Amino acid sequence: MPGPTLPVAVIQVLQVLTVLLGAPLVSGVIGKVEARLQGRRGPRVLQPYFDLAKLFRKETLLPEQASWFFLLAPAVAFTCYLVVPMLIPVLTSYPLPLGYTGDILGGGFILALGGFVVAVAAAESGGPYAQLGSSRAMTFGALIEPTILFVTFTVALVTTTDLPYFEAAAARASLAQVVRPAHLLVAVAFFLVVLNDTGRIPVETHASTLELGMIDEARTLEHSGPPLALLTWGSAMKQLVLYVILINVFVAPWGLAGSQSALAVGLAVLALLAKAIGVGAVFAVIDNSFSKLRLFKLTEFMATAFLLASLAVLVAYLGGG
Amino acid sequence: MMLALLVPSAFSGVAVALAIVVLLAEFAMLRAPFARSQVRLYAFQSLMVSGLALVVALHTGEVGLYVLAGLSFCIKVVLVPAVLGRLLAGAPRDLAGSNRFGVATMVLVSIVAAVVGFFVTQSIPVTHHPLPASALGIATAAILVSFLLVSLRSDVVSQAIGFFALENGVSVASLVLAAGLPLAAEVAFFFDLLVAVVVFAALIRVHHGRAQTLSTTGLDRLQG
Repeated sequence: MPGPTLPVAVIQVLQVLTVLLGAPLVSGVIGKVEARLQGRRGPRVLQPYFDLAKLFRKETLLPEQASWFFLLAPAVAFTCYLVVPMLIPVLTSYPLPLGYTGDILGGGFILALGGFVVAVAAAESGGPYAQLGSSRAMTFGALIEPTILFVTFTVALVTTTDLPYFEAAAARASLAQVVRPAHLLVAVAFFLVVLNDTGRIPVETHASTLELGMIDEARTLEHSGPPLALLTWGSAMKQLVLYVILINVFVAPWGLAGSQSALAVGLAVLALLAKAIGVGAVFAVIDNSFSKLRLFKLTEFMATAFLLASLAVLVAYLGGG
Repeated sequence: MMLALLVPSAFSGVAVALAIVVLLAEFAMLRAPFARSQVRLYAFQSLMVSGLALVVALHTGEVGLYVLAGLSFCIKVVLVPAVLGRLLAGAPRDLAGSNRFGVATMVLVSIVAAVVGFFVTQSIPVTHHPLPASALGIATAAILVSFLLVSLRSDVVSQAIGFFALENGVSVASLVLAAGLPLAAEVAFFFDLLVAVVVFAALIRVHHGRAQTLSTTGLDRLQG
């Protein structure tokens, strides 16, 4: 593509900035779509930015028992969600230098670290609902972990590496690769993982105010001011990061920049946001079409995701799939 | 960027995908709480088996397989579900609680059974068949999960559906191992299925008539 080219380092930074600045927009559009589906007018699509600005201006209140870790955790989690976009194909189809520093498992560990520090902070806050959410988040996080591992195994079997860039390249290589049974199974399994990790129905009602039904949402109840802003922003970034992996690695790894052209990279930013909003709309439709599972029924959801991931590994390992 | 595994051909991909849907339908039957939803899932699974027979027929050109696909559709997708539907017309709707274990436990146990099925078939030296080897593994897994459906659900409809679904697994396995089996032998299998339908229909009717329930949990004593 003609036009000015961008240094690789700039593109690497742009990947992070796209997730950092685009995440609230994607959340805003999903919120708008949800409201429309429910027959409401809904907030502006830019409302998440205004909410973040408001929270950053507010003072920080700390629970009595809270230590320095309670204040540090939101910043650590935020940093974790900033690191992952360096490892995954956000804008380019070719691996960027830092893309080789971590595989899917590495990215998963960093995302899990972000969730873990928030859970620990919630546990030490002393708030009963925050502790309940912390405990539940860790329990269900452990239950969904085998599925993530098996998704990684399938990627490794298909590409002999678990680097997300290679799985995306395999999918782009031919349509037959996209519709092969192992790929379809692993994509659906990862879709269920994203439903779980973004706190969507049937796992969690993300907009609920009923503390007893909360999982991830409850962990942030004791935070306020700028730390809450970081957690809210981080949550939106985690959502977009998971959408990016789902879209650019498994489902639709097209529309990425194949060169360092500024125009190609710019178009890739727009394509990514459009795809993420499309996926978010699908999640919003699911949110409004199904009911939340009872808490003790969530294991059935996890078992289904694990079943799909296991079958993906088996058919990929035995060939023909 | 090199791919480690060859991408399967369109035929292989479609055939294996259909076989996987057959297996997933088996898992769905395992967790379905209502007898009627199990019957609908059985009809869907049978439709996939008919579709698989049709795909293999299109690939190999075997006329017998076209007839098999048609027969399979008429008997397993239309006739058997219709018979079961009539039998269930007067039965209680709610069968929730007929599981011997929780759904998640049953699914995990069934995954283990499916894995065993996959790996056991790897040692079978089948070299000349139209379908990929993994389809045989999927068929064996479906058969083993059917056994679990029969043994883990304590209601007579689930046990009948499990048996019929087991026959679907056998059908997939026969398509892998002997797609060119003479039509007469295939039709004989269908007669076996029809006999089974008659036997289970009588069992469901007699059991429901005597116990006013479809659950088999009360059947714990032999009477002379």
